[in-house]
Amino acid sequence: MNPFSSGTRLRDMIRAIRACKTAAEERAVVRKECASIRAAVSDNENDYRHRNLAKLMFIHMLGYPTHFGQMECLKLIAAPGFPEKRIGYLGLMLLLDERQEVLMLVTNSLKQDLNHTNQYIVGLALCALGNISSAEMARDLAPEVERLLQFRDPNVRKKAALCSIRIIKKVPDLAENFVNPVASLLKEKHHGVLLTAIQLCADLCMISEEALEYFRKKCTEGLVKVLKDAVNSPYAPEYDISGISDPFLQIRLLRILRILGHGDADASDLMNDILAQVATKTESNKNAGNAILYECVETIMSIEDSGGLRVLAINILGRFLSNRDNNIRYVALNMLMKAISIDGQAVQRHRATILECVKDSDASIRKRALELVSLLVNESNVKPLTKELIDYLEVSDNDFKGDLTVKICSIVEKLSPEKIWYIDQMLKVLCEAGNYVKDEVWHALIVVITNASNLHGYTVRALYRAIQTSGDQEAVVRVAIWCIGEYGDLLVNNIGMLDLEEPMTVTENDVVDAIEVASKRHASDLTTRSMCLVALLKLSSRFPSCSQRIKDIVTQFKGSHLLELQQRSLEFDSIIEKHQNLRSALVERMPVLDEATYSGRRAGSLPAVASTSQGNPLQLPNGVPKTVDAPLLDLLDLSADEPAPPTSSSANFLQDLLGDDILSSSSQSGRIQTQKSGTDVLLDLLSTGSPPAQNGSFTADILSISEDNNNKTTVNALNGLSSPVVTSAQRSHTSPVMDLLDGFGPNPTLPNNGPTFPPLVAFENSSLSLIFKFSKQPGSPQITQIEASFTNKSSEVYTDFIFQAAVPKFLQLHLEPASSNTLPGNGNGSITQKLRVTNNQHGKKSLVMRIRISYKLNNKDMLEEGQISNFPRDL
Amino acid sequence: MTAYIQTRFLLVRRSKQIEFALLQEISIRSEGEREVFVSEAMIHFVLLISRQGKVRLTKWYSPYSQKERSKVIRELSGMILTRGPKLCNFVEWRGFKVVYKRYASLYFCMCINQDDNELEVLEIIHHYVEILDRYFGSVCELDLIFNFHKAYYILDEVLIAGELQESSKKTVARLVAAQDSLVEAAKEEAASISNIIAQATK
Repeated sequence: MNPFSSGTRLRDMIRAIRACKTAAEERAVVRKECASIRAAVSDNENDYRHRNLAKLMFIHMLGYPTHFGQMECLKLIAAPGFPEKRIGYLGLMLLLDERQEVLMLVTNSLKQDLNHTNQYIVGLALCALGNISSAEMARDLAPEVERLLQFRDPNVRKKAALCSIRIIKKVPDLAENFVNPVASLLKEKHHGVLLTAIQLCADLCMISEEALEYFRKKCTEGLVKVLKDAVNSPYAPEYDISGISDPFLQIRLLRILRILGHGDADASDLMNDILAQVATKTESNKNAGNAILYECVETIMSIEDSGGLRVLAINILGRFLSNRDNNIRYVALNMLMKAISIDGQAVQRHRATILECVKDSDASIRKRALELVSLLVNESNVKPLTKELIDYLEVSDNDFKGDLTVKICSIVEKLSPEKIWYIDQMLKVLCEAGNYVKDEVWHALIVVITNASNLHGYTVRALYRAIQTSGDQEAVVRVAIWCIGEYGDLLVNNIGMLDLEEPMTVTENDVVDAIEVASKRHASDLTTRSMCLVALLKLSSRFPSCSQRIKDIVTQFKGSHLLELQQRSLEFDSIIEKHQNLRSALVERMPVLDEATYSGRRAGSLPAVASTSQGNPLQLPNGVPKTVDAPLLDLLDLSADEPAPPTSSSANFLQDLLGDDILSSSSQSGRIQTQKSGTDVLLDLLSTGSPPAQNGSFTADILSISEDNNNKTTVNALNGLSSPVVTSAQRSHTSPVMDLLDGFGPNPTLPNNGPTFPPLVAFENSSLSLIFKFSKQPGSPQITQIEASFTNKSSEVYTDFIFQAAVPKFLQLHLEPASSNTLPGNGNGSITQKLRVTNNQHGKKSLVMRIRISYKLNNKDMLEEGQISNFPRDL
Repeated sequence: MTAYIQTRFLLVRRSKQIEFALLQEISIRSEGEREVFVSEAMIHFVLLISRQGKVRLTKWYSPYSQKERSKVIRELSGMILTRGPKLCNFVEWRGFKVVYKRYASLYFCMCINQDDNELEVLEIIHHYVEILDRYFGSVCELDLIFNFHKAYYILDEVLIAGELQESSKKTVARLVAAQDSLVEAAKEEAASISNIIAQATK
């Protein structure tokens, strides 16, 4: 006998492990045990096999690897005796899961055991099959399971029924084979069989419309009768739980009636009486009774309308909501969310109670209640509800503030009756929890502020006060900085006072102080500091008296470790010092931002910009179609190659001039309009309302600057003024002057410079399609630019949309950020994303790519995968 | 369609004809996300965790990889063990709900879908605990440690494929006892030949 395998008993091993004082000791014990088990495995030792497997299962539970024991399970299962099989199947279920290929080897043993004469061995096999069956096994063993549904012993029949659930879920095609056997099982008296047959019936109905129709016709009446009997049955100690006879069976019956009654008036009629009886007669002082009532309410809500029953259901929920038990309140909130679409008025009556639940000490209840509140808000109650929520924001837990602010912001945004109220509420939220809000929230606030021209003065003064008191909330600081930069003059001169405001005196120096403080605060990040610099630049023109002081502050950032700040500092310094004539026009007030465009962009619902075959290398990130309002364009757009003047909407000015990532989250390098040239950068900068007469000199200025100085700096200065995104988009170009004056030269990439490739449908299923459009830069045939555009033909919106791709080693893949992560339904809108693929074996191998698309549909994670190997050749 | 693509993927991966340089993110995510494809059982998994965070029993009815399993256990014990005594027995987690109940030093947890009946699952937990209690005679944590396989056998008589199998405690007790006596009988038979197997099955 092998000296290692004599080993210890299971009990002794567990004792030894429990006696370990440290993790290292435990590891040592486990290592020793594993070594002896391995030795036994390799010796193919029979005597201790099941003891070893039991040990392995314990070791597995502690989290150690035990894959070497998998074959032992199979050997034990193949053994003839019951004890070996019992532990073998347990090991199989514990150590393996359906994804392991080893599992295929067990199919044959399972088949034999399903036909075994010992009913307990049949039971073991059914249990294992039900818990870990893969699709292949389900297909192979379905006939055996189907036969076992008629086995003489009820305990085997019930196991076979649950096993069938697994089978039809793995292989829905097999569903029809089970319909008839289930119909006869539903007539049985044995509770276990009934319980499992109902469950199987419900799953069949989910999978197959035909099965649903069949059961609805044949079984509704019978099931109603079974429920009646169950409810009215005399005391049965075997099934009794706190005075209720078999609540599990009642709950399942209510559930199957819900499925059968949903959308069918006749079937619903049949069950009205018994539902009313359950709803009124069930005791609600114990959990089991409440579980039944809860299920009953859900069934009443789902079946076809019957006014009386619904009132009953809503009353039960009202009772639940005022219950002291947290579990009951939780399920009440849960259920009210479903009830709201059926009887909104009735749910509104409980508003006060629900609002109290938002402030509960239990995180689960708070979360449910908040969801519910956001569904309850409408035009008439938005003001008091928002006030309550904002008041609560002050005292809420920090980890709840994130959820809470998101909800408040969406409520305020959706239902605000007037702009001043919106601005007030948002300011309160930002002051209270500015560190918890998402970027889109304060971006949206800025859009609203620019649109409310009569409130500019009011807002900037309110923000100035807010920044004094809540300077530690990043978001409020950013909005304040932006507004002070824009409307600093209104702040100092108290212009546009509203009646409700208290007058305040702020000097120009105070304003500059405020920004200086914000820019030097430790907690300020790059974005805030960059915004401070832009605001200072703007103020230097609004407050000529402070110009020198501002210049000093700006200069301090010349030594910043952050490249972005350093660059801005240098650029702005040079603008303040050398280009007085240019400055006032550069820092004009922002044009009013178009709310519709902005919200449209956020929702990603703008129609995709069809890309033309003009493979222009310069691709600006903001490729929204522009409207012509730029006379300068003609001056700069000297190139005859440009077929149509680029057009521009005000939205882009804001983005470009803001000089930070405002709005860019939605548009960053997203929808890319290929037909664009470097002139746009200038255009965006200079066309902010400057009179056309001066255009000539402006252009000259810029050109002379580029000659005066080091070309690179100046052009970058101008780019820097626009947006960091633009800068990065242009980085690939060798000559910055060329960027600027792209239009002068012949357009370097005419379509005939390289071969064109037809677009490729890279992925398509019933709802989602993905189209690749290809373009190549001349001179670098290895590099392919791919524009992927996604369309969603279903009626649902896909959120959290993520596209991923992988390529073989001879390819290099560069993915740019997508235009959005929300894909609206019905094909109205798309997401685009740029890919750049470099083929190191160009000419020898063609492209191949694996893709993975994940998104959320109704909060459910969805995943699509595919491989694309039909790329055009020569890519 | 998706299943088809997936199987093709597996084939590609197995044949190793093309070596894919996977994006790191894919390889990380692929572990957990396969579950999306698999149709859902009512109860996705059952966990027994001690108050110290030690795992006493795990049963997975939906496929989770080993890596994912230990992550789930870590996450959930962090969430559940820290909850106060008076709070409700449900936690929302990754779009699912975990229903838990504490018995002495042990937390019994079951993970269900958003729209399943939480109160019923509490009742199922209690059902299981009562059966354990009858079997061991006022069960304690030590019973479940040293006889963990028995706890599994009982669970297999209560749940299959994440669905409730039997609502009668008596029936479950009878079935488990019958199987235990089968094992005993086999043991005695073997003991008469040699006592080696008898030692091993203790």
